[in-house]
Amino acid sequence: MGLLDLFRRDSAPRASKREHQLFDDEFQRKLEMLALVSRRVFAGRLRAERRSKKKGSGLEFADHRDYVPGDDFRSVDWNVYQRFGKLLVRLYEEEEDLSIYLIVDCSTSMGFGDKKKFDQARRLCAALAYVGLANLDRVTIVGVNDALVSRMPTTRGKGRIFKVFEFLSQLEPRGVTDLGTALKTFVAQHKRRGLAVLFSDLYDPAGFEAGINMLRFNKFEPYVVELVDPAEVRPALKGDVRIYDCETGEERELTVTDSMLDKMQRAALDYRASIERFCAQKQVPYFPADVNTPFDELVLRVFRRGGFLR
Amino acid sequence: MIFAGLPLAQLLMIAGAATALTVLLYVLKLRRRPVPVPFARIWDAVFRDRQATELFSKLRRLLSLLFQLALLALLILALGNPKPKAAILEGRHLVVLVDGSASMKAIDVKPSRIEVAKAEVRKLVHGLGSADRALIVEMGSLPSPLSTMSSDVTELDPAIDSLTASDTRADLERGLSFAVDSLRGLPKAEIVVVSDGVLGDSSELEKHVDFGGASLKFMPIGKSGNNVAISQFSVRRYPLDKSRSEVMLEVANTNDQPVQIELTLLGDGTIIDVSRIALGPNERLPRYYQDLAGASRTLEAKIRLADGRSDDLPADDHAFALMPERHRARVLLISRGNTYLDAALLLDEYLDVTTVPPGRPLPSEHFDVAILDGVADSLPDTVGAALYLNPPEDGSPAKLGHAIKDFGFDTWDKKSPILRFLALGDVQVAEGHAFAPGPSDHVLGASEQGPILVSGVRAGHKFVALGFDPRNSDLVLRVAWPLFVLNSINAFVEEDTGYVSSFRTGDVWRIPVPSSVDSATLIDPRGGKHTVPVKEGRAVYLGEEAGFYKLVAGSGSDAVSSEFAANLSDLAESSITPVSALSLGKARAEPVVLGAPGSKRELWVYLLAAVAALSVIEWITYHRRVTV
Repeated sequence: MGLLDLFRRDSAPRASKREHQLFDDEFQRKLEMLALVSRRVFAGRLRAERRSKKKGSGLEFADHRDYVPGDDFRSVDWNVYQRFGKLLVRLYEEEEDLSIYLIVDCSTSMGFGDKKKFDQARRLCAALAYVGLANLDRVTIVGVNDALVSRMPTTRGKGRIFKVFEFLSQLEPRGVTDLGTALKTFVAQHKRRGLAVLFSDLYDPAGFEAGINMLRFNKFEPYVVELVDPAEVRPALKGDVRIYDCETGEERELTVTDSMLDKMQRAALDYRASIERFCAQKQVPYFPADVNTPFDELVLRVFRRGGFLR
Repeated sequence: MIFAGLPLAQLLMIAGAATALTVLLYVLKLRRRPVPVPFARIWDAVFRDRQATELFSKLRRLLSLLFQLALLALLILALGNPKPKAAILEGRHLVVLVDGSASMKAIDVKPSRIEVAKAEVRKLVHGLGSADRALIVEMGSLPSPLSTMSSDVTELDPAIDSLTASDTRADLERGLSFAVDSLRGLPKAEIVVVSDGVLGDSSELEKHVDFGGASLKFMPIGKSGNNVAISQFSVRRYPLDKSRSEVMLEVANTNDQPVQIELTLLGDGTIIDVSRIALGPNERLPRYYQDLAGASRTLEAKIRLADGRSDDLPADDHAFALMPERHRARVLLISRGNTYLDAALLLDEYLDVTTVPPGRPLPSEHFDVAILDGVADSLPDTVGAALYLNPPEDGSPAKLGHAIKDFGFDTWDKKSPILRFLALGDVQVAEGHAFAPGPSDHVLGASEQGPILVSGVRAGHKFVALGFDPRNSDLVLRVAWPLFVLNSINAFVEEDTGYVSSFRTGDVWRIPVPSSVDSATLIDPRGGKHTVPVKEGRAVYLGEEAGFYKLVAGSGSDAVSSEFAANLSDLAESSITPVSALSLGKARAEPVVLGAPGSKRELWVYLLAAVAALSVIEWITYHRRVTV
C-alpha cells in the first residue's frame, strides 16, 4: 500500500460525510418549517389547484374559439350563436398540477472554492423541491453542464424528498458550462411546460443569455438563481501568476497588484449587473444567492419577494 | 586576507558551479505560479494593465536572483574561513597548567581558588588571538590534559569547566615537563601556570626542566592563607585486646598567629570526644587517644576554629581512618592439657577455642587455626592453618633433625609478624629437636644447633612449627609466650596488627586484596566506581580524594569487599598562603597579561550570520509576495 493509497482511503469517507452533512437532520427540520411558511404565503388556494395557462375543460370560463367539426356540442356557446349567428366553443382554464423543473448547473466552476456554490445550489434546489412536493406539484430535477448530465424522473408528494436528496447527493461538479446546448436538450425532452428554476453561477463562455433564452423561447417560465461567492469577486492573489480557467484551461499570465484586483472586482460586479439587467429586460425573475447566507434565509427571501409560485 | 579553510582555487570552482546551478534554477523558476480561477473571461478587463507591470515584475525577479547570488557568495566565503594575514603569522602556542591541588579548594577568594582560576583561564582563552592555540592541563599529582591544542573556544570552554581541585599535592615538575614536551617544536611557545603558588620547593626545578625556548608565565590565585589542618591521623587496635584501640593525630597551625581550635572525634559517625586545643604560630601538635572506646569500624576527626569561623581550606579539616575489622577466630586445640597454652588463649576474647584430646575424632566444622600440642595428628581440609608445638617425628610438617639440649634463640626474624614485639634473646630451653626445613620453608628462629622455629605451607595450608615443648623452657613464663601464640593466630587469620588505617592522597595506593583476581572494583567516597588492576595481591590506584573507600574483588557470592580510608595528610599542601610570583631557582615566571575579551573573532561566523539575516529577509519578502 503506497502513500497515495492512504490519502485515497482517507478522502472517500470524508467526501461521503460531507454529502451526508449536506442534508442532515437540521436541514430537514428547516425544510419542514419552509413548507409551513409556504402554505401561509399561498393561503386560500387549494392544493394542487394552480391554474395553468393551458385551456381545457375546467370550470372557469377563459375564452371562445371557432367551432371545428369534431368539437363536443356541449361546449358550443348557444347564447352567442343566438346573438351573432356564429358557432363558437367555450374554453375553460384547465386545472392541473404545476410542473416545476429545477435545473442545477453541474459545471466545474460551481465546485470552485471548496464547492460552496454547488452545495448552496443543491440545498436551495432541495428546499424548493420540498415546497413543490409538499404542494403536490410535479417536480423534476436535472443537472447540466454542457449537456444534460443527470435527471431525476418527475415525482410528486413530499414523501419523495429523500429521493431528491439522494439524487442531489450524487451530483458532481465537472465539465464545461454551455447552458444553451444543455437546455436545448432539456426542452426537447420535456414537452410539458412549467416553471424552470436555473441554479447556476452563469459562468458560461458562450454567454449566459443563451441558456435563459432557450427556456423563454420554449414557453417555460424561467427563474434564475445566481450563486455568488464573494471570494471570487476579489480573490486573495498577489505577485506573478499564471491564471487558468478551471473549466476551459484558458491561461493568462499577469502580475497581480492591488489596483489590478480593484479592476477585477469591478469587472466581476459588472458581469453580475449585466445578468440582472438582462433578466429585468426579459422579465425573468432573477435572484442572487450568496454562498455565505443560510439557505433557509434565502428561500424565505424568495417567497417574500413573491412570484416564484403562481 | 588569506583563506584558512578551502584554498582559493577550490573556492572559485565551487563558486562557478554553484552560480551556474543557481542561475539554472532561477531560469527554471521563471515559470509562474499557476492559480485556478472560476471564470477567466472576467480577468480580460484587467489585462490591459499587464504591459505596465511587466517591467517592474522583471526587476523584482532580478532582485530575487541577486539575493540568491549574494547568499551563495557569503556561504562560499565562509567555507574559505577568511582571516587577516597577520593573525595567521603571529599565532602563539600555550599550555595552561591549572593547579588542581588541595590548596586550590581554599575559599579565601569566593567561591574558591579553583573557580577563580577557571574564570581567569576563561578570560585568557577568550582573549587569545585568532591564530593562537591553547592546551588546558589540570596539574595534580599527575598532569591531565583536558583538551587538545586548539584555537576553538567551543572546545576549550568545556575543558575549563571540567577543571577540579583534588585532595592531592600538585607536582609542578611533572606538569612543566609535560608542557615542555607538548610544546616541543612549536613556535611562540608559552607555559602559563595558574596556581596559588603552593607547589612545594621549586627552587631546583630550573635545573631539572629544560624549557627549550618556551617562556614561563604565572597567574597567581588567592589572597590569604589562614589555615589549620589535621596533618596526621592514624588508629590501631591493641595487639592483645583488639576490642580497644588507640588513635594518634597531629594538628597543625600554618599561620603566624596563635589559634584555638575545637577537635571532634567521631567513631562510627557518633561523636566520642570533643576537645579544645591552643596552637601557637606554625605549631604542630601531636595528640594521642589511648584506650579509645566507642568506635568499632570508622573513625573521623574534624577541626574548626574555636570561635566558630571556618578557615580558608576546609579540605584538611576532616580526616578519616578505618580500624581493621575484627572477627572471632575459631581455634582447634589438640592437647592433653597445657595450662600455659590455655592461659595464652584466654587473653584474646575474640578467640573461639575448641579443645580435643589427641586420638579423638576431630570436629567436621571449619577452623581457622589448629594448635597441636605435642602431637601431629592428620588434619582435615576444614582446618585453615596449624601451629605445631614440639611435633613428633611422625606427622611433623617439617622434618625433625637431631635432638638438641640447652639451647635458646640465637637468631630470629624480627620483621616476621609472628615474632613482632617478642624479646627472645635470653630464652632458655632444656631440650628439643632441630628442624630440617624444606626449600620453601622459612626459618623464623634458630639456635646455634639448628632451626627451632619454622613456617611454611603444606597442601595449601600454612603452618608454624616450634621444635621444643615450651614447658621445657622459660618461654612460658615470659610475656613473649602469649604474644607468640596470638601473633601466630593473627598471622594465620590474616589480621594484620600493622594495619594501615589510612592512605595518603596523591600517592599510588597498593591495597591488599583478599582474593586472587586480576582486577577489582573501587568505590570512591562519592560513590563513583573504578575498575582497578590487581598486581601481586594488591589493587593499584592513584587516589586523589580523601574519605572512605570500598574495594570489591570478585563477583557474585565469591565477592570479597574491604574498606579503607584516605587522607590529605600533607602539611605542605595545608600551608596555603599564596605567592604572588613563581620562582624556579634564578628564573622567575613573568606575569600574564590578559587580552581584551572578544578579540578572538572568526570572520566566517559573521558571514554565516549575514546569510541567516538575508535568508530571513528573503523569507519575509517571499511570503509577502514582494520578490515573487
